[in-house]
Amino acid sequence: MALVLPTLACLASGFLLVCVGWSRKGPLPTDLLLRASLSVGYGLGLFSVFCFLARVCNIRNLVLVDLLVLVLLIAAVVLAWARAAENTTAVSTSNSVQSPVWFHRVVTSALVIALCGAFYSAILRVRAYPHGDGWDAFAIWNLHARFLFRGGSLWRDGFTALLPWSHPDYPLLLPAGTAHFWTYLGRDDPHVPAVVGFFFTFATVGILLSALSILRGRAQAMLGAIALLATPSFIEQGAWQYADIPLSFFYLATIALLCLHDQRAQEASSQPPAGLLALAGMAAGFAAWTKNEGVLFLGAVILARQLISIRSARRVALAGGKINFARQSGPLLAGSAPLFLLIIYFKHWIAPPGDLFSDPSSMLHKVLDVTRYWAIARWYVKAFLRFGDWLLIPGSLLLIGFYFLAGKEDRRTAQRGFRTSVLALALTLAGYFAVYLITPYDIYWHLRFSLPRLFLQLWPATVFLFFLVVRGLSEGVPAGSGERGLDPLRAGECA
Amino acid sequence: MHDLPAPDQRARRITIGALIFILCCLLSTARVVWDAPRPSSLPDSANRIGRRSDLRFASLKASLPERGVVGYVGEPGAAALGDYYLAQYALAPLVVDHSENHPLVVGNFPSPPAASPAIRPPSENLQLLKDFGDGVILFANKGAN
Repeated sequence: MALVLPTLACLASGFLLVCVGWSRKGPLPTDLLLRASLSVGYGLGLFSVFCFLARVCNIRNLVLVDLLVLVLLIAAVVLAWARAAENTTAVSTSNSVQSPVWFHRVVTSALVIALCGAFYSAILRVRAYPHGDGWDAFAIWNLHARFLFRGGSLWRDGFTALLPWSHPDYPLLLPAGTAHFWTYLGRDDPHVPAVVGFFFTFATVGILLSALSILRGRAQAMLGAIALLATPSFIEQGAWQYADIPLSFFYLATIALLCLHDQRAQEASSQPPAGLLALAGMAAGFAAWTKNEGVLFLGAVILARQLISIRSARRVALAGGKINFARQSGPLLAGSAPLFLLIIYFKHWIAPPGDLFSDPSSMLHKVLDVTRYWAIARWYVKAFLRFGDWLLIPGSLLLIGFYFLAGKEDRRTAQRGFRTSVLALALTLAGYFAVYLITPYDIYWHLRFSLPRLFLQLWPATVFLFFLVVRGLSEGVPAGSGERGLDPLRAGECA
Repeated sequence: MHDLPAPDQRARRITIGALIFILCCLLSTARVVWDAPRPSSLPDSANRIGRRSDLRFASLKASLPERGVVGYVGEPGAAALGDYYLAQYALAPLVVDHSENHPLVVGNFPSPPAASPAIRPPSENLQLLKDFGDGVILFANKGAN
């Protein structure tokens, strides 16, 4: 019961932050699900930032800080909604997407079964392993949380080079978020990080379901959610408090918000909503504040956005138009900048140097070693087929098979948000490859223990992009059959 | 150039594809459920980490300073690293350095004496201060700075 108050404060601050950036008015259940799912990550992100800043500034009363933040956010939401009332643009038409009734029932039943199975399994795992299973939870994240909570004014002691195995340079979203909850409770209850892991797992599914529902309709969204819920290692590692699942949450949130922004920009070409782009930037910033891989992703998203904007600008210039770069990338940078500065502060003034660049002299030698490229490429192929721990047929192969049967929608792959997202994920994957090239550890040991988890980080975003472009049933049913659905994008274009 | 499939043919392919997709996903859902811990094993597994960390080091913790750095000696081998991590987890915010070179050194020997016969100071510099039982020992290192 004692957890109820901090949980409400965390979710409310996340929800309000999302509402400030996103004043879109669409179908209530889908919008509510997306906002509620996003609020898990944004809420814990805010909690972690304020806990960390409170430790740095030696502020003891976190409850007062939370109250102040909530009041400010409420005022900002009121202002944002007042503005939105004047500028209401197109409304989502996702409810108009229809699929054959029997098919819809089959997909809904499958979703319910997959959801119940995942829920049952996650609850049992959380109850069986409240400290997490595997070393990551107690050797890294919860240990750092204990230093932040128990350390008082000497909390920095925990971020010392004497404990290199605890990766003291890892960012603090999870530890500081957990420590914030513990401050409310007055004790370091192990159930807090376990519940956080559980919430992140299902909030990721919530984002996938709701964002795809808005962009592609319910049938396509349910297929995507089934794919994620049926990934055994996703459910397992979420419940075991591996940070890869919160990271995958922020990757997905960034990409879903980018795609929502760009679709909205198409619908309301006069003034694209900057708030969604700022929220996407903030999600990428929170990814960087979760794990070091997130810093790579943040850089990849910003670079991809610039590259795609430059390419679009060339095309528009040929047609005699002009692209506003500040509007295309400004809010994205503004959303991520505060978190990026926070990470720089943490890395420069608090954390010892990381282990990755500990042996710069041998890096060039490793980069020139062709056998390392070959080894990493082989492991990439192996992990591509194995990373989800599926039964019989790997989920990655299933998506490929489905793609060959269904085909894709070319006009969606031409959308800026989609192309930015694909390029960002490709750059992130290439970045992971480069890290393996220069790793100071034994390359096979490093690949074996980390690559499947890196693939898992990208999996929810990949499933989202896949079902965004793969042809859905509404396009395949013959016209005049009475079952053909209205595509929301096409409806938006007509509007 | 090849002809595009007719709309009804395409619809059939998508439907079949989606159904196969769902069926295969539900197979993995079966694994998700099957691999979950059994409800009967919950109480035992839930306390596993606590028993090896917080409960195990509770009395030692009361004898140590609240802050600072202490040393650590444990059983040899990579498998014993987990014991060291759990000792640090339990004793935070005290920093536990895996080295004898500190005035106070925590000894952690969780294996029964038969398996780990040497519950005695692992080096000449260490002097036994207190044995807390269950393989948890506090040493003093006279030679440390």
